[in-house]
Amino acid sequence: MPEVIAVVAFLEASVRLGIPLALAAMGETITERSGVINIGLEGSLIAGALGGALGALAIGGAGGGILVGALGGALVAMIFAGFAVGLGTDQIITGTAVTLGGLGFTGAIYQARFGTTGTALTLPTLPSVPIPLLSDIPIIGSALFNQPPTTYFTYVLAPVLWYFVYRTEWGLELRAVGEEPDAAAAAGVRVKQTRFWATVFGGTLAGIAGAHLALAHAGTFAENMSAGRGFIAIAVVVLGRWNPLLVLLAALFFGAASALQFQAQTLGLAVPYQLFLAFPYLLTLLALAGWVGKSRAPASLALPWPKDS
Amino acid sequence: MTEVAARLDGILRYFGHVKALDGANLEIHSGEIHGILGENGAGKTTLLSILGGIIHPDAGLLEVGGSPVRLQSARAAWKMGIGLVHQHFTLVPGLSVLENLALGRRHTGHRWTLHLKEIRKEASQLGELTGLTVPFEASIEELGVGDRQRIEILKALLRKPQLLVLDEPTAALAPAEIDQLFRLLRTLAEEGRAVVLVAHKLDEILSIADRVTVLRQGRTVMTAVRADVDTAILTDAMVGSSRSEGEAPMTPARNALPALGQSSDGLAQKRESGNRSVAKLKGIDVYSPQGGLALQDVGLEVMSGEVIGVAGVEGNGQRELALVLSGRQQVASGKLEIPEHVGFIPQDRNREGLAADFDLTENVALALHRNPQFRSGPLLRWKLIGLHAAEIRSRFKVKSSGVRALARELSGGNQQRLVVGRELSRLPELLIAENPTRGLDFTATAFVRGELKKLAHDTAAGVVLISTDLDEILEVADRVFVILRGKLTPVPSTHDSREAVGAMMLGSRLEVH
Amino acid sequence: MRRFGQLAVAVLALLATGIIAAGSLWLGGYDPLVAGAAMFQGSFGSGTAILSVTMVRAVPLIVTGLAVALAFRAGVWNIGAEGQLYAGAIAAAWVGLSWGSAPGWFLTPAALAAALLAGAAWAAIPAFMKVRLGIGEVIPTILMNFVGIYLAAFVVHGPLQENRGVFPQTDPISDAARLSVLVEGTRLHAGFLIALLVGLILWAGLRWTHFGFQVRSVGASPDAARVSGMIESKRVLLVVFLSSGAIAGLAGGIEITGVTFALYEGLSPGWGYTAIAVALLAGLHPAWVVFTGLLFGGLEAGAGAMQREAGVPAAWVSAVEALVILFVLAGDQIRRRFGA
Repeated sequence: MPEVIAVVAFLEASVRLGIPLALAAMGETITERSGVINIGLEGSLIAGALGGALGALAIGGAGGGILVGALGGALVAMIFAGFAVGLGTDQIITGTAVTLGGLGFTGAIYQARFGTTGTALTLPTLPSVPIPLLSDIPIIGSALFNQPPTTYFTYVLAPVLWYFVYRTEWGLELRAVGEEPDAAAAAGVRVKQTRFWATVFGGTLAGIAGAHLALAHAGTFAENMSAGRGFIAIAVVVLGRWNPLLVLLAALFFGAASALQFQAQTLGLAVPYQLFLAFPYLLTLLALAGWVGKSRAPASLALPWPKDS
Repeated sequence: MTEVAARLDGILRYFGHVKALDGANLEIHSGEIHGILGENGAGKTTLLSILGGIIHPDAGLLEVGGSPVRLQSARAAWKMGIGLVHQHFTLVPGLSVLENLALGRRHTGHRWTLHLKEIRKEASQLGELTGLTVPFEASIEELGVGDRQRIEILKALLRKPQLLVLDEPTAALAPAEIDQLFRLLRTLAEEGRAVVLVAHKLDEILSIADRVTVLRQGRTVMTAVRADVDTAILTDAMVGSSRSEGEAPMTPARNALPALGQSSDGLAQKRESGNRSVAKLKGIDVYSPQGGLALQDVGLEVMSGEVIGVAGVEGNGQRELALVLSGRQQVASGKLEIPEHVGFIPQDRNREGLAADFDLTENVALALHRNPQFRSGPLLRWKLIGLHAAEIRSRFKVKSSGVRALARELSGGNQQRLVVGRELSRLPELLIAENPTRGLDFTATAFVRGELKKLAHDTAAGVVLISTDLDEILEVADRVFVILRGKLTPVPSTHDSREAVGAMMLGSRLEVH
Repeated sequence: MRRFGQLAVAVLALLATGIIAAGSLWLGGYDPLVAGAAMFQGSFGSGTAILSVTMVRAVPLIVTGLAVALAFRAGVWNIGAEGQLYAGAIAAAWVGLSWGSAPGWFLTPAALAAALLAGAAWAAIPAFMKVRLGIGEVIPTILMNFVGIYLAAFVVHGPLQENRGVFPQTDPISDAARLSVLVEGTRLHAGFLIALLVGLILWAGLRWTHFGFQVRSVGASPDAARVSGMIESKRVLLVVFLSSGAIAGLAGGIEITGVTFALYEGLSPGWGYTAIAVALLAGLHPAWVVFTGLLFGGLEAGAGAMQREAGVPAAWVSAVEALVILFVLAGDQIRRRFGA
């Protein structure tokens, strides 16, 4: 039945579009829980995409690409954290610079390596792995459980991160640093170290998200292919109230909203193509505006520590 | 048999060019309560921070239990049995009370669960032993100052310290709460622990300490047994015969040194003639950011030429009262009559009084820019403002490297002189001062209190002094009010003793004769 | 004292960037000296280079740099200059095309005025979200950049597409709408003077006017401005945000009326983002923005030459610009920590 196929295709697209967002957003959740806002997340994402591409080509497999992508994302996050956490520079501007640098460097490296001819690169792709039994569930089965491994990794990561944040001593210290770093320091917690590693973790996940984009989603690398997903991920963290489980749901919801554009196209609506492209960004704006006042950010978010005297 | 719990010898510590500690010594015995005295800026908090492992000395020796140690971090200090209870509360509002107690503990068990049940059990047991009862179910935001401090101390005790160090624990407490705290400390000392107590109020230290060490300008100038000292000896040690460097001389006679920790002889019956109402509040309601009523049905009339003191434990609505009186905040309901321009000395001079990166002239302009006298069309008359700033600088003796010096370069005392000078130089009809001497040394404290009195009595302005320091209120104010849970109550002149007002601050009543 | 410190930071940041930049070129197998020489030749090496390339490329950078500097001075993180620029360009192109028969003395100012309004309108949504809803402006302004770029793409594929209908671009605007050339035989146009004028206005405004003081106060210390200065922060922030958007929009309008005379996709190679580097390097001082704008104009002008002569990808230049931002931030932070 064509309607069922359309629904399945829609769900499948929702998950496919939502997962990179979810990964990056969950990573950023941990980062922001420590009081750091990483506008450079986009830089980690694109670094992960390029790393994924280069890694897959060099090591000869998509798995290697994911690894290199993760490293790329981590590296970019380390640079950001070095300035923003180590030196205490303004997090917003530092993050913006890191993103600009990330986009510029990845673009330059790509052009240097592969030339500027414009023919798309072909990469080894990350295949979909159906989970036995689960993927046979009607309608949702193939959408949710016939996906690349990184998707399953994302599913598992959400509850793990939730438990980590709310039920372990590490998570307690993370939350304390994000709310009241002075108090955490007085209790013996190493604030800067916590913030640094929380940031690098976030960047690593964003790197994996970028590699997933290149290897499981597009099958190629193109300059600026991250297309602002890092920024949208930051908005998703707000919508998910800094709770890893809700963040995953919010990201999937976003994926669904973005998947609508394909549905509308098949429905033959006479809407300009560029509106579809702009839709995710407009949606994010709307979501941010609508969610105001409903959740509270970690109290020390974006504030440097130690405070400027 | 005195066992030395900890010893600091010849400690040296710089902050940039400033010598915070210049050869400080401290020896603490087990089973004693050791008081550390010194005026603000003498180095007490720095010394404690070194003892607590938060900062490192640039030179000097630190011994714990007889052996020399280098404390790398606060965690290392905890491991050595040193428990530091800070001056500014270090509880995390976003976490529950139990989670706050759990924070930082690492001595038993694994890290992948929170052990909240065990902590609750331990904390209850400890609470019974020491009388430190703490509401486990409450959220931190709801709790008052007294409760928060009890949680802080409990948190420290849970880690079983041999040496408990408290930095200015009485600063925000009412007299009855201070008694309760001291009884607890005595119990702990009798168990064999060592207790170190820092204060700048003499009578508190005299009432509880077994031995006393006095710091002045970063040096230990005296260590003595309680029996061997009295107020005069200690005052002399704290202040010394020479004035502290870099501060201007005190204003003469009438505004001499505040009596340290001594209650005044009752309130002066000063009331300037020409009773003109300067400000009137009636039925004022103000909501706090959290949603509850910060001020409830507040009524007050400020007359010209008087200083009104508002005493109270921190967190009872003082902030909102200050903002409303000075016209910086709207009211939810009620009648508010204040002059068009109200001077305001906010309690956070660094963040609210001055812009750190502005120079003196620009900071002065903050108070002047709304005055048409300093404007010319769309422009500001910078030359005139500059002259004004220079005059403030000289008249109020703000020590700085010129009028172009940035506010961040000034010392705390000089920053406050700048703020006070700026606000006073406009000769306001009404001035609101919020904890104006917090963190200032003697000279600056005396200066500020003197200027407040002068403004009221010499220029017939109305001054409202809001302070958590009861002695300051009793010394400076003509009329006293107490603020408690958002309600303002006048103190009848028959009941203006320190004990009576202190009781009112806590909400208990004394009999009316 | 303050000035000297800031100058030192700027110089050291450029130095550090230069070292890392040269190092990265060397690692990539390029000859840093050849690349550097090519860049210099392309930007400052000849009269034509200076007048027709560098100064022309500097105009949008100076104007957006001023827009960003103004916003940052008040503590408004306007990362949306790119989208605001496109909005201004669209408006200017529309006016230039729609009223092509009007006389020059009316048409050019009208086009630029439309650009100002469009830029302000583009900033209005994030401004409203910030001032009324309390939502941080960074993400909204960035999101609006994407929307602006797609709007421009839509416009040149659709309503304003050239009559031939072949390429995604507008027809050229009428001569009456164009800015006059300043030096015969070069591409240097009156927009350069407009840029200087805007810089002058901002400098004088911030320094001498009452409102300028309020802007600086809110930026220096929002708390002190509110409590001690009794300044209505919300009103100040709103005016600054909209003005910043307007100036960025003006940059787009100047590009249309002075250089390209038509709108097409990819009009801006990221000027709105480079503007952040321009503004920060100038210590957010409007007067210095002119100089840093020229510097970055030279950088971008030389990038093309560098790609031709030394094979270095042009995208690398934006990476270098990001390094400038990082080193200026670090330098400012170090300066603040250690006095002076």
